[in-house]
Amino acid sequence: MTLVLEHVHKVYQDGPKEYVALNDASLQVQAGEFVAVVGPSGSGKSTLLSIAGALLSPTSGKVLLDGENIVTLSKKEVTKRRLEKIGFIFQAAHLLPYLKVKDQLNVMSVLAHKSKQQKTDILAHLGLEHRIHHYPNDLSGGERQRVAIARALVNNPQLILADEPTASLDSSRGQEVVKLLANEVKEGNKAGVMVTHDERVLGYADRIITIRDGKVELG
Amino acid sequence: MFLAIRELLFAKTKYILIGLITTLTVSLIFIVSGLAEGLSADNASSIQGLAADSLVLEAEAEGELGSSFIPMQKAKEIINDQEQEANTLSIQMMNATVGGGDKQISLALFATERDGMLIPEVTEGRSPKQENEVLADESLKQDGIQLGDELQLGEETTYVVAGFTTEQRYSHTPVVFVKSDDLEQVNAVAVKGESVSEGAYSTIPKMDALHGIPSYSQEQASLNMMIIFLYVITAFVLAVFFYVMTLQKRDQFGVLKALGANNTYLISGLIIQVILLSIVSVGIATAISFGIGALFPADMPFILNMATIVQPAIIIIVVSVLGAVVSLYQVIQIDPLEAIEGVAT
Repeated sequence: MTLVLEHVHKVYQDGPKEYVALNDASLQVQAGEFVAVVGPSGSGKSTLLSIAGALLSPTSGKVLLDGENIVTLSKKEVTKRRLEKIGFIFQAAHLLPYLKVKDQLNVMSVLAHKSKQQKTDILAHLGLEHRIHHYPNDLSGGERQRVAIARALVNNPQLILADEPTASLDSSRGQEVVKLLANEVKEGNKAGVMVTHDERVLGYADRIITIRDGKVELG
Repeated sequence: MFLAIRELLFAKTKYILIGLITTLTVSLIFIVSGLAEGLSADNASSIQGLAADSLVLEAEAEGELGSSFIPMQKAKEIINDQEQEANTLSIQMMNATVGGGDKQISLALFATERDGMLIPEVTEGRSPKQENEVLADESLKQDGIQLGDELQLGEETTYVVAGFTTEQRYSHTPVVFVKSDDLEQVNAVAVKGESVSEGAYSTIPKMDALHGIPSYSQEQASLNMMIIFLYVITAFVLAVFFYVMTLQKRDQFGVLKALGANNTYLISGLIIQVILLSIVSVGIATAISFGIGALFPADMPFILNMATIVQPAIIIIVVSVLGAVVSLYQVIQIDPLEAIEGVAT
């Protein structure tokens, strides 16, 4: 899987004024590559991630997932691509409070119309096997974020997108979570993009991209 | 289904509380329906169960049995004109005393041919044979009347109860069947199947005659009004509940959409929850209503059976789903982008 953004513009209308969130942003992430996106707040990091994750359509430009331009797809098709090809990790774990850990993963199989096969491998891999029957409320912040990572990996997506995954964690937990993410990207030969402003975790990235005022500065 | 059921089980207290409110309103719907059905039978079971399909009335009476008068001679001609079986019917409200006592009992006298088709089945005693013998509704027993008792009507007429029949009430009074031989005029000619009429006489289906019974329409209308209000209240209670729940779960829906759940899946989960909740409420309310019905005194006009319940039960489930439509719109509107915070919009 490769992720390619070509000349992406995103302009928001703010009353009579126009606000340019992304200005001619181009980016390429190869399979097996883990890229960190940094930049001051308001620079367009989250907009970039939302567009790459098919949550937001650009004003102009192309977003290619494995060569397919997802900008021109219907809303329904886009939702399907997200389910099958993209794994999302958010700032907070955003787990469903009424599901036990195993069901947090099973719901992804249900949505993808796949059988609910054993998820013990993936949970063991992330050190969660003893938490299978717990609700999110009983987990620590780090454990919750690890469950969120497991959930993002269930359908074996080829693109992993993480939006400040360490924001709700302390420093050592944050390091641990990003290390896990980087490993998953490497081992699964996936493309990974992580937006962050946590400098301590940049060491795990293969490449660091800086965004300033909507422009991509390759680092 | 996967999410809907797990959420119901997880947030038990919330859903039990809302289920309790729904159960109470649904029980009230069933009980008022039972009352409407009971009052309807108490007022008109003799017409509803009449062994005929249509009635020939005087055209000027405009469907009101009590205002229609047909001379006996003419009534016989009408009967002869019919292709199928037909009999005369005359209804008179009377007061009677029992065996010369002081206690007055209201009766509805149904005069018709002695062995005619309109005479209902005898459930106790025997069919009238002697000149002054009559067949009476068994509800007269509650006034202490037994087989062989005499009913004194005015100065001259005395009837003897030869037999009892059942479910024969008219205008909230028991019906007594007497013979019509010596009448000079009758109210109607009751006919099996389609009836033939012309000129000053017109035909109505027997059920249309119910509106001609004093207070029948008013009673039913006021009870039906209550039932309709209860449907609306039930729908609104559920609509508001699920609307607020949906608002509370906005971020959950946003995340699910970002993860790849489509609207169809999220909406069907919501509808499954509404249907499950209303089915369980209807089930418990059925048990409660039958329980309360069993506690009512025997002479209370209250009829509740599965047939009475099916229609309101279906309506409740349908209006509950309609109530959830507001929330469906809400779910569709939620943008998956809400899952990613800090995006300028």
